[in-house]
Amino acid sequence: MTYSDAISLLPLIIVGVASLLVLLAGPFCHVRVVTVIGAAAALAAGFCAAAVSPVNSAGLPGLAFTPLARYLIPVFCVAAALSLLLSHGYNLRHEIRGEEYPATVIFCLFALCVLPCATNMLTLFLALEAVAFSFYVLVAMDLGRAESAEAGLKYLLVGAVAAAVTAFGLALIYAGTGTLALGALTAPAGFHSILAAGWGFVIIGIAFKLSLVPAHLWTPDVYQGAPAPVAGLLSTTSKFAGAAFLLMLLAFAPPRAELHLPLYVLSLLSMGLGNLAALRQTNLKRMLAYSSIAHMGYLTLALLTGTRDGYSAVLLYGAIYTVMNLAAFGAISSLSANGERSSIADFAGLGFSAPLRGGVLAVAMLSLAGIPPTAGFIGKFFVFYSAIRGGEIVLAVIGILFAAISAYFYLRVVVQLYMRPVGAHLPKPCSRAESFALICSSLAIVVIGIFPTPLLRLVESALSHS
Amino acid sequence: MNPDFPILTLLLFLPLVGGLSVALLWRNPATARFFALLVGLAELALGAWLGSSAPAAGPTGYFLYQDLPWIERFGIRYTLGMDGISLVLVLLTAFITVIAMLLFWQEVKERVALYFALLLATETGILGVFLSLDLFLFYLFWEAMLIPMFFLIGIWGNGRKLYSAVKFFLYTFIGSLLMLVAIIVLYLMHGAQTGSYSFALAELVHTQVPYTTGLWLFAAFLLALGVKFPLVPLHGWLPDAYCDSPSAGTVVLAGILAKTAAYALIRFAYPLLPEAAHAFTPVIYVCAVIGIVYGAWVAFAQTDMKRLVAYSSVSHMGFIALGIAAWSPVALSGAVLQMVNHGITTGALFVMVGMLAERTEDRESLHYGGLWGKVPVLAFFFLFFNMASAGLPGLNNFVGEFLVLVGTFRVAPGAALGAFLGIVLTLVYTVRLVQDILFGTPSQPVSLSDLSLRESATLASLAVIGVYLGVHPAPVLDLIKVPIALLTKA
Repeated sequence: MTYSDAISLLPLIIVGVASLLVLLAGPFCHVRVVTVIGAAAALAAGFCAAAVSPVNSAGLPGLAFTPLARYLIPVFCVAAALSLLLSHGYNLRHEIRGEEYPATVIFCLFALCVLPCATNMLTLFLALEAVAFSFYVLVAMDLGRAESAEAGLKYLLVGAVAAAVTAFGLALIYAGTGTLALGALTAPAGFHSILAAGWGFVIIGIAFKLSLVPAHLWTPDVYQGAPAPVAGLLSTTSKFAGAAFLLMLLAFAPPRAELHLPLYVLSLLSMGLGNLAALRQTNLKRMLAYSSIAHMGYLTLALLTGTRDGYSAVLLYGAIYTVMNLAAFGAISSLSANGERSSIADFAGLGFSAPLRGGVLAVAMLSLAGIPPTAGFIGKFFVFYSAIRGGEIVLAVIGILFAAISAYFYLRVVVQLYMRPVGAHLPKPCSRAESFALICSSLAIVVIGIFPTPLLRLVESALSHS
Repeated sequence: MNPDFPILTLLLFLPLVGGLSVALLWRNPATARFFALLVGLAELALGAWLGSSAPAAGPTGYFLYQDLPWIERFGIRYTLGMDGISLVLVLLTAFITVIAMLLFWQEVKERVALYFALLLATETGILGVFLSLDLFLFYLFWEAMLIPMFFLIGIWGNGRKLYSAVKFFLYTFIGSLLMLVAIIVLYLMHGAQTGSYSFALAELVHTQVPYTTGLWLFAAFLLALGVKFPLVPLHGWLPDAYCDSPSAGTVVLAGILAKTAAYALIRFAYPLLPEAAHAFTPVIYVCAVIGIVYGAWVAFAQTDMKRLVAYSSVSHMGFIALGIAAWSPVALSGAVLQMVNHGITTGALFVMVGMLAERTEDRESLHYGGLWGKVPVLAFFFLFFNMASAGLPGLNNFVGEFLVLVGTFRVAPGAALGAFLGIVLTLVYTVRLVQDILFGTPSQPVSLSDLSLRESATLASLAVIGVYLGVHPAPVLDLIKVPIALLTKA
């Protein structure tokens, strides 16, 4: 390992050291200090990653600071930092004490940062599973609520199966190609069926991770049970990581012809069922779970075109979706007092009685619905544009119609926030950390919606060397 | 004036920025209200100044133009342009917004600052449609204007306001999304043909569109524009939204928001897809005539005054659709003139109904009667605007409808005849409404105050414009002559 390797992997080093530091300092410091250390380290790592220029170093086995990593690590770092800031107040109210929460978030971030740096299947798989492993713990973190433990168990069981399936798929691909390196997964003649089977298993595993229909059943229960800030982090980073996993495994080449039909069906079903089921939800977190299923359907639509445009759209949409959902779950967690505020009717009138948080939730909803001038519109525009350009016009039109339907359930939340009289339970005042995180995320939604060019440039450079 | 000064951007975003500042004054409703009016007046003054100092139109018809790169990845540019048609509609928008604020000064008692801020934000959304020359930018404003309108109906509306707000939003949103697909397809076709990917209207009009594809694309445009227009089978949201919206919101909805669809049809849909538009012309004729007759017919059956005016608005919008479908210089001039007239007259009718409802909290026309002697000034304006709406010669609607009918009769005599029947029906329901409200005897005692000076003065300004356009429409027709000649030449 040379000096330049160390520099290029500095983000990983920072996050790794920070996670240990948080654990070591935990017993001696107030949890607030520990949280600040964690958030600061995450931001520093993100800044580092954005500043360092990518090198295709062969100096380390299995790791390199790729252009993709340069794009994804800052996104993940910002998401983790925001969710640490958001969860601090929530954890105090819910009596989730101790340093293990920030430590686990930073561990999770470490795995997330390793994922885009992976250069072989083994590292890639380990990173993905390390992310999932952290979330098994985080989802069950709220010991005071039985739902949280239940959600944790559900997620663990489903996740274990998904991991096994993915591992088996990767093993078959290895058997088919004879290499673990990500760049060299081109199929030699003769092992065609083994490779196809391998890819099939991988797709099934990823469908679980992305909660694509029909592998989505765990999602609503887990989102409902998990603490709101954790659900926010889970619904964004782990999904985006899953999509990145698939992109890296494909080595940014178009998917094999056999994969087109399964991806097509997964996308169609997810967009359809996700949006239709969300119409009927009365619990906001469950609604967001179905919405996330639908959004992963849009993501798959962009992915299955196999074009450079499609992959750019995946990367852009992932980042935008991360911001939108963090804002939504952040507002929910900040509005929740001792219990979870989760029924949509509980948000009545909060747009006026808690203007900042209500406003952020409304902006997030409008953005998720894809209404201009929000980031969500730019994201949807790019996804459907790439789908039409990639020749998937039928699926794109179907997707757009489902997106149109989706406006209804997002608007219902806005209606509750602004057009209903205030309910009985007024939220506690918003802490400074929460306000900061919420303002940042909602500003990002609006700014990206109006001026997406910088983000689009970053996406282009993430795909530039591959 | 410095030619580099982004005057169009100022014109476009002044209401939005002003509105945001108004929202910051939420602690002090009186100041907020006053400041909002000031912003509205400044916008109107700016528009009027642009109109009066407009240099001669260039060969493209645009006398003000601004073009900046925006999202280079897709060749999306921030392109604004103003020609005669845009100018007329910009003036109408600024004027109607001020009227709506002035006449319903005290209508809203709660969250006043936010209310006026949203009215101003809607104004920017509408102006954006009238000024954009880039299809992406156009679509952005087209959708974005729904958000403030949605809040206006949902927060300050009456009756089933939530239902109406959501219905309004979903109808227009769902209708519009397929237009987005059509825009993207056009963009890709143009890019594949010329190698330059751009959403600019000036470039996309040169796209060679295969006939069947063109039909699909035009259908998508027609669906989106037809919902907002509204063309008759797509008008389901309108009576609810118009009735349950606060009065100022209704005036904005009917007076100017509906015009964005007519404008987009003229500016974008027809020039982009002329062949398909030609093929769809019979459909638009049928929708227009059905709209005229059906709107008038249903209006006749209404006893809720606001609902009556809402259906009469549908009927009058049919004339605009008719003029556009005929696509001859005369008919199209009539259609654009009628867009202004409809804004003035229907806007004024909603104002009258809103005033009655504000005073008595009752919109049932049967409960009124004999107002002619009790509140003479109000009654005079009521009669005046109803006569204008019925197309009395010498008032504004007459000229527009006449031009549309003359223009249409040459190309589609049947449609013109059907529309003429509509005029007769208009007379029927108008006379009935006037009879119910102003004359006759009330079924229950009605007590209400006459107009205040502020209200009289504002209505008088509307009436003066109505008379002026009725006897001397030449200034408006001169403004729109060049762009219409350019549009119909091809």
